[in-house]
Amino acid sequence: MSVNTPAGPVDSPELDIEAIDLSDRDFWAEPPAVRHAVFDKLRAERPFAWFAEPTMEGMEAGPGYWAVTRLADLDAISSEPAIFCSGQGAVSIQDIPADLSEFYGSMISMDDPRHARIRRIVAKTFTPRMLEQVVDSVVGIVDDVLAEARAKAEAGDGTLDVVADIAAPIPLRIICDMMGVPEEDRLLVLNASNTILSGGDPELTDEADPLTALLEAGMAMAELMGRLAAERIENPTDDLTTALVNSEVEGEKLTHQEIASFFILLLVAGNETTRTAIAQGLLALSENPEQRARWMADPSMDKTAVEEIVRWVSPVTWMRRTATQDGELNGHSFKEGDKFLLFYAAANRDAEVFENPHQLDLSRNPNPHVGFGGHGPHFCLGAHLARRELAVTFRRLFEICPDLEITGEPARLRSSFVNGLKRLPARLTGQR
Amino acid sequence: MSRVQVDRDRCVGSGVCESLAPEVFELDDDGVLQVHREEPGPDDLDAVRDAVQSCPARALALAE
Ligand code: HEM
Repeated sequence: MSVNTPAGPVDSPELDIEAIDLSDRDFWAEPPAVRHAVFDKLRAERPFAWFAEPTMEGMEAGPGYWAVTRLADLDAISSEPAIFCSGQGAVSIQDIPADLSEFYGSMISMDDPRHARIRRIVAKTFTPRMLEQVVDSVVGIVDDVLAEARAKAEAGDGTLDVVADIAAPIPLRIICDMMGVPEEDRLLVLNASNTILSGGDPELTDEADPLTALLEAGMAMAELMGRLAAERIENPTDDLTTALVNSEVEGEKLTHQEIASFFILLLVAGNETTRTAIAQGLLALSENPEQRARWMADPSMDKTAVEEIVRWVSPVTWMRRTATQDGELNGHSFKEGDKFLLFYAAANRDAEVFENPHQLDLSRNPNPHVGFGGHGPHFCLGAHLARRELAVTFRRLFEICPDLEITGEPARLRSSFVNGLKRLPARLTGQR
Repeated sequence: MSRVQVDRDRCVGSGVCESLAPEVFELDDDGVLQVHREEPGPDDLDAVRDAVQSCPARALALAE
């Protein structure tokens, strides 16, 4: 392939730490090499680095935040939810205005005991045992999507877009299938989840004002989910929606508002993340053809390879925590109300934890990455599902599209939050 | 003999333990963690240690 860009950091001793600004939106459009050089610099010299907050239309800029880049610090914060809480916002740097938190007030931005109550009710549907039952449908969906992508490419000039034709439809269909979202509503779900996670990338929202776009997307999803939940109460099926409207823990059920918020969280958290892991994973494989060949030939590598892809890609770049009291952590003192951004993408390249962190090693074991979150109550609910989706997708890709070749530069999402791709051009060479 | 201990207040039912040591841990239909072998045998110990180490909620302990 001719478009190789080094995925490791560029060696730049002249990088000026004072010039680094993680709140600069343009920084997030830089290639991975630049991003990781900056993370390496911060981790080595300023593991708690203070940044002013990015400005967002219609919102007042807050006081600023600490950027956490060492895995040990990140995990320590994640493990102390009473001191470092999620309730003031986990997915935005700004404190969430009340009207938005109506819609996005789901468990990812809640603290115990409210968080634990909801998490326990929904965790039942995401156990490894329950997921065994959805494996067949995952294989079926992946095969369908790959067959459609292949047919489309072969009917045309052999080219395709990895993001639109492979990476986006797979997780969307799986999650919509699990929840029983009807076919005709799926485009709405895709568009709304794009808007909510775009972090205001103008190419992804028609709306000039990102806040309005966010609200409208949230309302459209809430409306759809309210409708679906009401239908399942009348006519139960075997989908997740039915399980949710009926499930109770210690006699407590979720309210409809809670179900709607949870749906939004699932769609948003389950789509973009998995899509990013697939698209960026394929890019990483094309940059490392010898590893791709090894994995392709050896299905017993699926488990470690999937973990390494999540570490390597780190689909979710950060989550936020807020200090509930003054204190000190690993020699760093902080004040009540201080915000911390936990940079998973940086911690996952921490040389204190990972040997040759900037090398993709699909047989890396152990691999204590924090791509699904550090230790703590918010650890990714969908981790089992995501692992399963990724293992099936790559294995079936090797079988159905072994001739897939990346042909050009990816278009990167200009978002600090999701390490996403908008487009990744490829073709099927026809050579198996 | 080593004994598995579960802190019920911390457990969020993530199922990580079950995927690592399915012989020992299982989330039941109510999402409550069941420990099938409170005193795991020598064959289970590595997997149980792994599960204790990996528990995202730090709700598991192995008293050895
Ligand atoms: C490769 C794919 C994925 C990655 C990298 C990922 C990553 C993450 C991360 C970093 C967190 C936050 C952890 C924390 O704050 O400590 C999280 C939480 C969450 N994820 Fe995922 N995720 C993925 C796939 C999924 C899928 C497929 C679903 C559901 C279908 C899902 C549902 C959730 C939910 C509901 C939460 C919030 C849990 C809570 O607050 O208790 N994720 N995920």
